[in-house]
Amino acid sequence: MGRKRIFSWGLALAVLAAGALSACGGQESGSGGQTQPGKQDNSSQAQAAVQESGSDAQAQAAVQESGSDAQAQSGEQDNSQLAAAASVVVTMPATSEPAAGFDPVYGWGAGEHMHEPLIQSTLTVTTEDLEIGLDLAKDYQVSQDGLVWTVDIRDDVQFTDGEPLTAEDVAFTYNLCAQNSTVSDFTMLKEAVAVDGDTVEFHMNRPYSIWPYTMAVVGIVPEHAYSEDYGQNPIGSGRYVMKQWDRGQQVIFEANPDYYGEEPQIKGLTVLFMDEDAALAAAMAGQVDVAHTAASYAGQTIAGYHLFQAASVDNRGVNLPAKPATEQDGLIVGNDVTCDAAVRRAINMGIDRQEMIDHVLDGYGTPAYSVCDKMPWYNPASQVEYDPDGAAAILDEAGWKMGSDGIREKDGIRAAFTVLYSPDDSVRQALAEDFANQCRQLGLEVSTEAAGWDVAYDKAQSQPLMWGWGAHTPMELYNIYHTAEGQENARYSPYENTAVDQYMDQALQAADLEESYELWQKAQWDGTTGITQEGDIPWVWLCNVDHLYYVRDGLEIAPQKIHPHGHGWSIVNNVDRWQWTS
Amino acid sequence: MKNNKQRQAAVFFSAALLFLAMVTAAGVLCREAALETDFSRKNLAPCREYWFGTDCMGRDMFARTLAGLSMSIRIGLCTAGVSACLALLLGVAAAVMGKAADRVISFLIDTIMGIPHLLLLILISYALGKGFLGVAAGVALTHWPSLTRVIRGEVLQLKNSEFYQISRKLGWGRGQAAARHMLPHLVPQFTVGLILMFPHAILHESSITFLGFGLSAKQPAIGVILSESMRYLITGQWWLALFPGIMLVITVLLFDRAGNALRGLLEPMENREGVYG
Repeated sequence: MGRKRIFSWGLALAVLAAGALSACGGQESGSGGQTQPGKQDNSSQAQAAVQESGSDAQAQAAVQESGSDAQAQSGEQDNSQLAAAASVVVTMPATSEPAAGFDPVYGWGAGEHMHEPLIQSTLTVTTEDLEIGLDLAKDYQVSQDGLVWTVDIRDDVQFTDGEPLTAEDVAFTYNLCAQNSTVSDFTMLKEAVAVDGDTVEFHMNRPYSIWPYTMAVVGIVPEHAYSEDYGQNPIGSGRYVMKQWDRGQQVIFEANPDYYGEEPQIKGLTVLFMDEDAALAAAMAGQVDVAHTAASYAGQTIAGYHLFQAASVDNRGVNLPAKPATEQDGLIVGNDVTCDAAVRRAINMGIDRQEMIDHVLDGYGTPAYSVCDKMPWYNPASQVEYDPDGAAAILDEAGWKMGSDGIREKDGIRAAFTVLYSPDDSVRQALAEDFANQCRQLGLEVSTEAAGWDVAYDKAQSQPLMWGWGAHTPMELYNIYHTAEGQENARYSPYENTAVDQYMDQALQAADLEESYELWQKAQWDGTTGITQEGDIPWVWLCNVDHLYYVRDGLEIAPQKIHPHGHGWSIVNNVDRWQWTS
Repeated sequence: MKNNKQRQAAVFFSAALLFLAMVTAAGVLCREAALETDFSRKNLAPCREYWFGTDCMGRDMFARTLAGLSMSIRIGLCTAGVSACLALLLGVAAAVMGKAADRVISFLIDTIMGIPHLLLLILISYALGKGFLGVAAGVALTHWPSLTRVIRGEVLQLKNSEFYQISRKLGWGRGQAAARHMLPHLVPQFTVGLILMFPHAILHESSITFLGFGLSAKQPAIGVILSESMRYLITGQWWLALFPGIMLVITVLLFDRAGNALRGLLEPMENREGVYG
């Protein structure tokens, strides 16, 4: 056990303490040198940046080396080169990389993190105010009974391999989705039929008024060129063509020269997958044009970059099990404290959302009152004013008496519960801690506990969990609040209200979207019952997390739709309309 | 002169032990403070009130570091204890219980030593569902081989010693002879081995927690603190990693030096050659 040994331990730990390990971001190194073949026509700075960041262990190293020189240069010199090349380099979290490739059938563009599929075109699109616009579809109608949707499609559209896009391709795509999709619900679709070259009919199992929202996320794949490795070599008719994919590192897109719509202004898009700290380092080194970031990093100022803030419906909230605890098949379902509506109402009213946003999100967020704030189907009655005294009064009235230790009690039940959070998510952990602190002010003893997703769904049946939701479809309301098929309770947290269920069932059977929006709103609050403060309030929504990006000066990001859950692809939904102004 | 050296070693050993005991006790006492979040004091650099600064949730890093070290030391104590007892049992068994037992135990030692330490640790911890149990079992089950080998060698040597042979010839049973004539000779090896196992145990606990296979993110463990701090180094919050890292280094070094000091005290032949030689 000589001195050498001690010295080596000391050295190893000093290195650890100095943080050299932060270089293990998420990217594999080594194959970066191979990124060039096949890309020589485009020798822009962007490509050079890609190559560098691919072959370096991580951008950190570059930051250390380049120091302030590179930052000063990057502002001016790179800008002009990039503007000439009209291409952008965008970072995204490593989790945004589609595991099954760029195949809409296996989740590309759809599912939990929905976005426009870029490579493929969709029948409809969601507009900036999240109503429905048209893309491949020229027109669509639904039959009186809501069971047949007829969609007229454009006949001037080609896949990038030169073959025309026909109604057969559309029917093929939807039937494939119905058979195989694991991330989206297609149980309402019986069959898609190509009636003629440019008309397709969707035969439904049950009325589904919000079908246009489903049509907005399904990218159309070519029947003649679809095989098992389609996800690796996607062919579509969209604005961009995938040129190259280095798994775990980057994807390179090029504008589709034959695109039927408006010509994309940005000709090249490179997406790099990395963690937030690596993205920040890459921006500091001037290697990327758009770097995703989080509130905890947003205080940094980077020369040549500005902070871009995209509003979102990427909400965080907790479920409050609305039924008393019972054991079902070995699993505890329900919670004896939160089953009291007074407790749920007091929490909803007694949480200072703005304080939470200021403290945890450094102000980069907006208060959330529902799972669908600012969507066309949002009911403004969900909003509630912060009123800690009112909350205390509700608890007093319901018989939750304040104990000597500052924690309330009722009939021998202590007002205590645990809030769970995902262990890898520092924002959710901080929100859970802040939530717990605020609940303590109300006389509720709330502790926090980390729970991985392998156990979180089961545990959430009896304990509140810090969730993140937010999608461009009202189906999310249904998934969260509607009693699950064949069950007594809603899927994610014990709750049922037949009136709420009925409104949502009616909304799905509605004749048109406008009518359905109204019914979705009634499901939230119809004047007597619902899921808002005056109603059952089985979930308390806390905040919508703004999506933050460091954007290189001179790059103008086109106006964004309200981003859904997921800090990834949404930003590039309209990359074709971005502009270099300098 | 020699006596002086010995006294120094004794003083050093006691001081180290006292310091570590204080850290352990302090950590237990400020566990509550370590978990307390207060967003009005977040991201503070070290100052008079918060010696080690605060993190992004306004937790006092000093309390967190102490609680984390204390947790590491306690896990180290418990796992090193189990490991050392295991080593004693297996080492003696290998030497005394005949050729077959020796072969089996030697094979076990070689197997476990042949697998990279950290890998086996992660495997065991993961299989047991991580958390305290996973880490404790993982560390305890991977640290015994080297000490077992030392003890086995020692026992083999003692077996051939005259006093042991004579006591056997005088009709003492195996167990009785071993207890009377072997154990006292093993105590120094065992104690020093035990103490020198602490730094390993502590470091390995921190390492697998750092890698995310150990204690849960909620625990104020050194590994958790260091892995969290990695995310914020780029924003210039150096104190999140530096102080906990230094404290961990100090703790590990102290255990190591204390073990060596104890060895100096317990091994008379080397240190007292002036008297005997």
